Amino acid sequence: MKLIDRYVAEVGKSLLLVKGRKDIEKELRSTLEDMLEERARNSGKPADEIAEMELLREYGAPSKVAATYNPNPYLIGPRLFPIFTTILKIVIGAVTLGMTIVAIIQIVSVSPATIAELFTIIGRGFMNIVSACIAAFGNLALIFALIERYAPVAEFKMDNEKEWDPASLTKEPEPQDVKIWEPIIAIVLTFIAISIVNFNPEWLRLNYGDNTIWFVGFGDFVKNQRGSIPLFSEAFFRWLPLLNIGWAAEIILNGMLLRTGRWQASTRLFSIVIKLFQIVVISLFLSGPSILGITPESLVASGVFEAESAQHIGGLAQQGIRFVLGIAIFGTVVDIVKTVYKLVTQKNA
Amino acid sequence: MTNIESLENVALELRRGVIVLAVLSQLGNEQYGYSLLKLLADQGLEVDQGTLYPLLRRLEAQGYLQSVWKLEEARPRRYYVISAEGKKVLPKLKKEWAGIVSVMAKMLA
Repeated sequence: MKLIDRYVAEVGKSLLLVKGRKDIEKELRSTLEDMLEERARNSGKPADEIAEMELLREYGAPSKVAATYNPNPYLIGPRLFPIFTTILKIVIGAVTLGMTIVAIIQIVSVSPATIAELFTIIGRGFMNIVSACIAAFGNLALIFALIERYAPVAEFKMDNEKEWDPASLTKEPEPQDVKIWEPIIAIVLTFIAISIVNFNPEWLRLNYGDNTIWFVGFGDFVKNQRGSIPLFSEAFFRWLPLLNIGWAAEIILNGMLLRTGRWQASTRLFSIVIKLFQIVVISLFLSGPSILGITPESLVASGVFEAESAQHIGGLAQQGIRFVLGIAIFGTVVDIVKTVYKLVTQKNA
Repeated sequence: MTNIESLENVALELRRGVIVLAVLSQLGNEQYGYSLLKLLADQGLEVDQGTLYPLLRRLEAQGYLQSVWKLEEARPRRYYVISAEGKKVLPKLKKEWAGIVSVMAKMLA
């Protein structure tokens, strides 16, 4: 039964991410052995390798058999796909616009001396737009693929699964209607945050040059750059997985708002869950080492500040970030209270 | 796709719709996958293994079946039987089926 064992192993290879793979393999082996035995009994021929080959040929290619056990063969399934395409259009549009603006700023700031230099900058800008769009597509697909795999499917009901009453068309627009630009801006900003923090953390630095011009982000804009200080500490990046979960949830929430066009009980509840999660994350920021990379030590190391002023400014920055995080928690709590109020009044309306 | 293949696909779609009902109806007594396959075939319903085994897993995940592994003739076999939830659903499906048969019989008469 060597061939059956190998066949089962081949099927198993295609089921690595399917729950209950071992059970499937065990059941498949048992079935094939039953079939082989029965065939040998009925035909009077031995259950040898030739019989095994005949049986396995009829049973089908391992990949085909494995495919029948995969309950969700999609990277992004039909429930999430409409939200995915909506968000993708917005993100690609925003990335193209943003990168075009960056390219224009570069042309203006560099002031190319020759036509060739100008075309080089334009060409580089175009390539940057293309690669940024590809990266945006990949990142968004990755986020949705992870949600598809790990988030409960019931969270994402498609429009045609909900009860619809034509009488809803006769009602005047209600206060819970969402202005279309709100979720769009939220999606774009969240996506920019995800992209920068995850894939371009080097942008989150204070860059300085000889003339001590400080600029957050592109070091290219600082003439004669001498060095830079990271805005965020290693402690901040340790919490990145939690931040990403929160941001991914924000994108989904805004995608849902964009599709439904109004706040519903489900979206308000989802929003409350996200805000509670944000409070937990901010509390974690406050409880551990500082998330801000601007410290007296880093300022002294920059060589721009004297030890005393570095101590003063660094200390202020550290106190400032704690104050900002405290305010953020307070603001989020207020938001939750407002959302709960709207949820209750919406239900009673 | 030839006409014969197309016809086969349509026939397959028709059969696929009734397999759930057929399986639930036959699992009052526990059966392992291959024995169920033969039981259905003996009664005239040929079901492909590639359809039956994933369906059994799906019905179990939905709570309509329960299963247990048993060692028989030095071979482990997974036995399936209808669950309490499955027993509740079966009469409703039977009623639905009777309705479909009645309507189609009138249409095709």
